[in-house]
Amino acid sequence: MTDATDRAPLLEVRGLRFARQDEPIFGPLDFAVHAGEVVLVEGDNGSGKTTLLRVLTGVAHADAGHSLLHGEPLSHERAAGEIVFLGHQLGLKADLSALENLRVAEGLYGRRHGVSAASALASVGLAGYEHEAVRRLSAGQKKRTALARLLLLPAALWLLDEPYANLDREGIALVNRLLERHTEAGGAALVTTHGAVTYLHREPRRIELRA
Amino acid sequence: MRPGSVGAACWAVLRRDLLLAWRRRGDVALPILYALIVTTLFPFALGTEAALLSRIAAGVVLVTVLLAMLLSLDALFRSDVEDGSLEQLLLAPQPLAPLLAMKILAHWLTTALPLVVIGPWLAVMLRLPQAVVPTLYLALLVATPLISLFGAVLVALTANTRRSGMLLALMLLPLMVPVVIFAAGAVAAAQQGLPWIAPIAWLCAVLALALVLAPPACAVALRIALDA
Amino acid sequence: MNTLTLWFHKLGSPPTFYRFATVLRPWLLALALLLAALGLYGGLVLAPPDYQQGDAYRIIFIHVPSAWMSLSVYACMAVAAFVALVWRMKLAEVIAMECAAIGAAFTFITLVTGSLWGKPMWGTWWTWDARLTSELVLLFVYLAIIGLYRAFEDPRRGARAASFLVLIGVVNLPIVHYSVVWWNTLHQGATIKLVGDTTMPMSMLWPLLVMAVAMEFYFGASLLNRARTSLLSLERGKQWVREMATADG
Repeated sequence: MTDATDRAPLLEVRGLRFARQDEPIFGPLDFAVHAGEVVLVEGDNGSGKTTLLRVLTGVAHADAGHSLLHGEPLSHERAAGEIVFLGHQLGLKADLSALENLRVAEGLYGRRHGVSAASALASVGLAGYEHEAVRRLSAGQKKRTALARLLLLPAALWLLDEPYANLDREGIALVNRLLERHTEAGGAALVTTHGAVTYLHREPRRIELRA
Repeated sequence: MRPGSVGAACWAVLRRDLLLAWRRRGDVALPILYALIVTTLFPFALGTEAALLSRIAAGVVLVTVLLAMLLSLDALFRSDVEDGSLEQLLLAPQPLAPLLAMKILAHWLTTALPLVVIGPWLAVMLRLPQAVVPTLYLALLVATPLISLFGAVLVALTANTRRSGMLLALMLLPLMVPVVIFAAGAVAAAQQGLPWIAPIAWLCAVLALALVLAPPACAVALRIALDA
Repeated sequence: MNTLTLWFHKLGSPPTFYRFATVLRPWLLALALLLAALGLYGGLVLAPPDYQQGDAYRIIFIHVPSAWMSLSVYACMAVAAFVALVWRMKLAEVIAMECAAIGAAFTFITLVTGSLWGKPMWGTWWTWDARLTSELVLLFVYLAIIGLYRAFEDPRRGARAASFLVLIGVVNLPIVHYSVVWWNTLHQGATIKLVGDTTMPMSMLWPLLVMAVAMEFYFGASLLNRARTSLLSLERGKQWVREMATADG
């Protein structure tokens, strides 16, 4: 495995600062994420992890500093299609089935070569649940559906907000497996966690978020 | 890797929203029932004298349809904001404007089109002369998309606030005054046997503009409202 | 960067604006009061009674300048809203939002004075005259802007959303006015002529113009005052506010 850090970074953050109504939330932050890397962002509740991800997806504006995607300033146009975001709210419509939800995502983003919505669901252990309405799935199953979206969509950078939440040991192992495969294929991931212990194939880089 | 085309993305969004409305198809009846009930209140309030009712019929139906749409517009983005789907839409590689246009179209098809269909019959219940019904159909057909398009932009602005239907009413209704004036003016002219095509044509022109300008404005409004 | 841009940037900094506003405010208010006294004297005392309406017409010296102000404030608000949205400038956001309240007040005064005029003139408290009706819609738009701003917990996000609404209004208010005029010709026949501006004698015109200028100065003073206070409240966590508070106290 080549050293990831000698390639140009996928995502770079310089002097990023965020404040809400003059209360500093985080910053100044400086870090880079290279292809093949997993970076863990750790911090307590309220330390701004979700806000950081929202800034990196281009939805929110930072108060100072800038972020670069593939070396170019990150804006919502640049971020579109290059980034897959998994948030607290999973982005699934409760009235649709898991398969239907993935089909929508596929229509919007396209899909990875060799992966279909059905196969993605099977890979996350939801074979047989494709046609269940999402509202009838358990919290863990809903999370898996959202994870299946990660498999399906062709994007190099994953921004995952607490992906381990609501998952049992098998689910946690699944997330780690997904991250491993993604980084081996040249992708990168930024993962937030509030300190829950995670075991990955390689020890990831950790960043502590503090105001 | 094959990125989704704009057409595929639009179809995905349209299909999704239509499917969601179908899954809750009971809700389609609500705006219709509202319009029916409100329209029937007017004879109770004003008496059943035919001459009076026939003069106000078209106007009452237009305002009632406007209010019914106001109530249903509130829900245009709410569920998407709550379950995080809207953020997924924002991140899609497609421009946001056509995707929002599809959402607005789905919303119009499922909430306004039923009102357009039954509206003139409500007016007939209020003694609107049947000869004028085609004009009222046309007026509703042109006015309701305008209300949807405009309303979508304004609802987008309130996407992340503690929502109050009153606020949306305050924002939308004053700006809908021209739509009401021209739609009602057309029907009133038809009722008097005067030429009525001019106000309709005017509305069509504004609709053409709105079809082009409202989806991008809606996209901008959403981004402003969701920006932390 | 030339001097104008530099001055603009400096003015946009909250502490600089605060000092600028504090200094300028009393002068503008003094000018406003002076000109208002002059205008009112000219309008109420010097100008002759109208041959048709007698003395009752004199309310136009408040009504007409108020109406002009309701539009002029909107124009100022629109410029500030545009700057706020494009450059995300905090001061522009504050100015735009404070303009809304002042504009609403002028619009309300226009409507009330119009109504007071209507009673002796046409025997009714409200008339569906095209201009008054458009003013009423304008009042609703102002209130909507204020309401939208208040609906947000984050005042900066609220100001940006409300600014977008301001710009939507810029496009739509002329359309509303035009449609109301059209509607009025359908329903009222001969439009009630308020006062024909072109045939107004000079003795009536100059107090009107003086009152308009007086109101502009008052608007300036009021805006600076409100923006100043609002800025202080919004920036209360910042260093310069704390320094100022401890320096005074």
